[in-house]
Amino acid sequence: GGYTQSPGGFGSPAGTQAEKKQRIRSQNIVPCTVSQLLAAEQVDETFRIHDVEISQVTIMGIIRHAEKAPTNILYKVDDMTAAPMDVRQWVDTDEAGGENVVVPPGTYVKVAGHLRSFQSKKSLVAFKIMPLENMNEFTTHILEIVNAHMILRKNLMSASRVPQSFSSAGIGDVGGYGGGGSLPMNGLTAHQSQVLNLIKNCPVPEGMSLQELKLQLHNMSMSTIKQAVEFLSSEGHIYSTVDDDHYKSTDAE
Amino acid sequence: MGDVHEVPRPRIATAQVAQHIGQPVCFVGRVEKIHPSGKLFVLSDGEGKHTTVELNEPLDEEISGVLEVVGRVTNQATIMCMSYVQFREDKSPFDLELYNEALKIIHEFPEYFPFG
Repeated sequence: GGYTQSPGGFGSPAGTQAEKKQRIRSQNIVPCTVSQLLAAEQVDETFRIHDVEISQVTIMGIIRHAEKAPTNILYKVDDMTAAPMDVRQWVDTDEAGGENVVVPPGTYVKVAGHLRSFQSKKSLVAFKIMPLENMNEFTTHILEIVNAHMILRKNLMSASRVPQSFSSAGIGDVGGYGGGGSLPMNGLTAHQSQVLNLIKNCPVPEGMSLQELKLQLHNMSMSTIKQAVEFLSSEGHIYSTVDDDHYKSTDAE
Repeated sequence: MGDVHEVPRPRIATAQVAQHIGQPVCFVGRVEKIHPSGKLFVLSDGEGKHTTVELNEPLDEEISGVLEVVGRVTNQATIMCMSYVQFREDKSPFDLELYNEALKIIHEFPEYFPFG
């Protein structure tokens, strides 16, 4: 027997629809604490924090130690959340000096890099190490960490909870929490999510029409619906079918 | 430097000092006064509340402005300092009040900003 490899390279025989939804890859650089990086789970070549894949991260901390070797500089960066983390920066051996000046211990820096693990020890390979000139950036970084990880967690929760069908009564309820309608879920606002979910669950081949959407979404004006449709279309979540009034989801069930 | 730098050190304000007796912490505050002996100084946090910091050896330099202290909280709710760093303010002043607000956030959401 056998099973086909999907183009995404999942290849796993247990790749059910639900599991596939749960695997959200973070496309961005995620601000993290050293403690979060140390706690990240490793599955094969990937790391996960809160079940979200992460790769590129930023940390901010103080350099406790710096060691220059011929091909790299090894720093120990401390952000107080755990023991200092090893951060390696590869040195361009062709360049004469300039680019790769060692940042002295006692300096607060922002590090952007990739998480690595070798023999169960985590470290970062940095592509950018910048001394902080304004320590208020450090305060901002703290807030960004909480914000980013909260959103990553919420996106995961909402993805696994999308119901397979909506009743009209259900729409009203969902619209109710639109008081915080600007809180993005999956990067979408509440209005955009509602419109997308209706389009996704429409079984008709030519998709859902704007008129149908207006009928189902009593609390939304036609212009709000059109704005949502325009946004979703430009982001690639939906596409028009027989005409500009009918849309189907690109992520078809 | 001592082993206190190898463990998590929660960032706290004066209000939380008493809850961390015996534990390693990280405290950021503005220098208010320095004892003539050089072995003791007082920092104020973003809410203006004072914490006393003690040293094993007297200071060997002038300190001023915003300091980040790493140390252990004593039974008297002072901080025995193991190391400190002065926050640079040559380009921009450090907003200590905003830092205090950020502390409230990380204390409220430890699941998104874990110490240890």
